Amino acid sequence: MSRYAKRLDRDLVRWREAGWISTDGETAIRRDVASAEGGKLDLATALGVLGAVLIGFGAMSFVAAHWSEMPRLFRLALIFGGLFASYGFAGALFERNHPTFAHAAILVGVSIFGAGIMLIAQMFHIEGHPPDAVLTWALGALGAGAILRSNPALAVAMLLMCLWGGWETSDDGSTFWPFLLGWSAVTAAIAWRRWEAGLHLAAVALALWIVSLGYTLFHGNGHGIVVIIGLLVAAAGIAAPHIDARFATWSTTGLAYGLCIAFAGLFALQFIKDPSLGAFVLLAILSLALVLGGVALGLKLVSPALLWLGYAGFSIEVLGIYFKTVGTLLGSSLFFLSAGVLVILLSVIAYRLHTRVQPGAEVAP
Amino acid sequence: MIRKLIGDMTPERRSLWLAVAVVALGQAAVLGWMIWDRVALLAGGREVVLEVVPVDPRSLFRGDYVNLGYDISRFKLPPGAPVPERDAPFYITLRKGSGEAWQAASGSTQRPAQMQPDEVMIKGQVEYVSRPMADQPEQPVVVGLHYGIESFFVPEGTGRELEKMVGDKKISALIAIDGAGQAAIKGLISGGQRVYDEPLL
Repeated sequence: MSRYAKRLDRDLVRWREAGWISTDGETAIRRDVASAEGGKLDLATALGVLGAVLIGFGAMSFVAAHWSEMPRLFRLALIFGGLFASYGFAGALFERNHPTFAHAAILVGVSIFGAGIMLIAQMFHIEGHPPDAVLTWALGALGAGAILRSNPALAVAMLLMCLWGGWETSDDGSTFWPFLLGWSAVTAAIAWRRWEAGLHLAAVALALWIVSLGYTLFHGNGHGIVVIIGLLVAAAGIAAPHIDARFATWSTTGLAYGLCIAFAGLFALQFIKDPSLGAFVLLAILSLALVLGGVALGLKLVSPALLWLGYAGFSIEVLGIYFKTVGTLLGSSLFFLSAGVLVILLSVIAYRLHTRVQPGAEVAP
Repeated sequence: MIRKLIGDMTPERRSLWLAVAVVALGQAAVLGWMIWDRVALLAGGREVVLEVVPVDPRSLFRGDYVNLGYDISRFKLPPGAPVPERDAPFYITLRKGSGEAWQAASGSTQRPAQMQPDEVMIKGQVEYVSRPMADQPEQPVVVGLHYGIESFFVPEGTGRELEKMVGDKKISALIAIDGAGQAAIKGLISGGQRVYDEPLL
């Protein structure tokens, strides 16, 4: 029982005794809370999953330690047996209404599939192109996630797609467009499952890929494009609710991702590349305007996420400027002094903005 | 019995177990295909012996392995031959030399149209092309080739021993090559004896 349910349990008795709610009402509330709690992760389940993971690791290290002593056919039987056992176990657990354990069993199956690819490659001295093995693994995870409706397997599929894209990119240093295909496939499955956290994972993966464009396009000079894409995404986030009210819930999210992408591009232009002093000052002003815009919008839209991203961006920017200017442009004491004045000025602006949104309210610390 | 079992199931149960079967069989089929593809090549391919030349790192995923280089990993292009692109396929025609080992008889970006009975074609991928220095234009263009037979996995800890043998040039590799020029390592030979000779399955 969660803390909320425990407290509600006490309160319900009190409310019924006070005559505020009827016995029927109490039963109905209890039933509603119980059904909402059903899908939640509790300590027992979490410990159960951790235990299963530990046993899995134990089994794996035992097999790894005795691997070379086992005959080849036995090793193959172990891989295939493990694969069928995991998925069979998952099916049985779904039937007995233990979805959390069932998803854990699916993850074990997906891991065995991946291990199987590597071990068979090793057994038969298959060299091939290693990222292809990761892609095969990712597709296996995607299949398991989509067919067995397992969100954790889809999350693994997304992570593996990122590993695949990252490997291919670092292998030859140019933009790896096929990543978009793999990403779309996994994202489509996540969207079909209407899994919101998964969509965020997909958005983070895509945002990272867009930021990587800055390093791969035009021989590492694509950061300007990254900034433009980021600003376009942010603008789309702002415009979305005006086009269709159904997009309203995604407005702040789009804005936040767009600003992060644009900031990452600006960061690279300022600190990874080596711009001239004039360009650097211009870029620094732009970046500060961007993070302050984020903070202001976070306050206006009452979005803690945007607000904190803005604060984080501000800290990163200020630190970046500090490391770049220390001992060069101006003395560090002068820097701290001016930065301090700037931050206080900002807090005044923030306070004003906040009181304008909620007149009479004190700014929360 | 299975039919009765399935017949007794509710539609939800049936679709759950169908989904489980599709995933498990699908993934098993992918692994099975990897094995079948390799076993068919090892069992049906033509055997050649190639001389091994040294090297050794550790791979991220695959435990201990020895990096094998071959005489045919560097091919000197005859003067006037077209220079291949990086990553392009390149075909080497092998012929048995005076000893056990086979040697490159010719190489081309085009797949050879016909071959003698004592010749075998192996397909490689161009890793690099090194052109002669400007002051030595008479030197040939050298093509670095990769055949997918450069990694040999050995039981944990025995890599050094094998590496030393490779370093002393005591090793040659027994390679199976199919009609398309795909190659796979069948085993290693040291002093006429087969070492690390594993059964197909």
